[in-house]
Amino acid sequence: MLGKVFGTLCLVACLFGFLTGNGDALGSAVLDGAKGAVDLTFSLAGMMCFWCGVMHVLTEAGIMRRLSHLLRPLLRLLFPQAAKSGEGLEEISANLSANLLGIGNAATPLALAAMEKLQRHNPKRDTASEEQITLAVLNTAGLTLIPANLLALRRAAGSPRPYAVLLPVWITSLCCSVMAILLCSIPRIVRSFGKKSP
Amino acid sequence: MIDRLSSLAVPAVVLCVGCLMLFSGRDYFQAFCTGAADGLKTAVRLLPTLSALMVAISMFNASGAVSFLAAKLAPFAQAIGIPAEILPLLLTRPFSGSASTAAYGELLERVGADSMAGLCASVIFGSSDTIVYVISVYFSSIGIRRTRFAYPCAFAVMLFCIFFSCFLCRLCFF
Repeated sequence: MLGKVFGTLCLVACLFGFLTGNGDALGSAVLDGAKGAVDLTFSLAGMMCFWCGVMHVLTEAGIMRRLSHLLRPLLRLLFPQAAKSGEGLEEISANLSANLLGIGNAATPLALAAMEKLQRHNPKRDTASEEQITLAVLNTAGLTLIPANLLALRRAAGSPRPYAVLLPVWITSLCCSVMAILLCSIPRIVRSFGKKSP
Repeated sequence: MIDRLSSLAVPAVVLCVGCLMLFSGRDYFQAFCTGAADGLKTAVRLLPTLSALMVAISMFNASGAVSFLAAKLAPFAQAIGIPAEILPLLLTRPFSGSASTAAYGELLERVGADSMAGLCASVIFGSSDTIVYVISVYFSSIGIRRTRFAYPCAFAVMLFCIFFSCFLCRLCFF
């Protein structure tokens, strides 16, 4: 997958570069890019290190457990089948809280566990159920309280106010999550209307 | 106001952790170190991928292909309110976290983190995720082949995210 991305970029860059006479710049671009990768990693490393530490403390202190309790009533509405069967809600709320706290490493295994629980009540084994789709799409909306890598990258680029975008990021990802929920519940809403007016 | 609120969030969380360490009586410092070690591992694991992709994106930019594309798309992008410079980020974001990190880092270096394009890119980068990766991993792990409306939904949300971010940035910062 990434090999194809790399190959395509290189091919287009070389073709375009030599056709337009920018070919000389390509060599130094290779050097700059490699150096940039190390710079980026170094500037990310400190913040990632510190922030993962902070999040680990909060998890140990039980913040995540409390957060998933807070999310539970809302999730009952979004995942009625999981709520009825009693399986999966726990994993879903843990997954979303891990996302919210920005512990991406913990969020993926939790999401996979939630998917598996939802799969137990999925009538068609090879077809995604609506609740599984909702969970997946919600996870792509990226709702995070402190996006540590974003802040580190802005700081590394010399921004005097790396935090300035936090509030817009919260608003946007909240709206995206709401949008995701709305889009994913269209089939359910349509069905319930169909039932009411036969 | 937006600046103040945003810049208080991080110190507030750090203060919480400091208070926990001071007043709870449990050894949270050890927990901090465990987490920090994990974070460092994640960052270092990124480097090999980043080194390849940063070189590719850097070459792509140096060849003039981006500025060519950006110039061609600029009137169109401007008309719908999206800075044309963020195109490489938009193209890589749904597919790969490391590729979009590379594209985002490169973009900030080139146009500045607090230019209109830099701010829009930041909000988009912070409030979206790698759609293709997430959906394919989630569904393949339980053997689901037919994902129905998962991809259309996720891409619609991403499109909304792009427009909304640019709109919000213009409202907040300019």
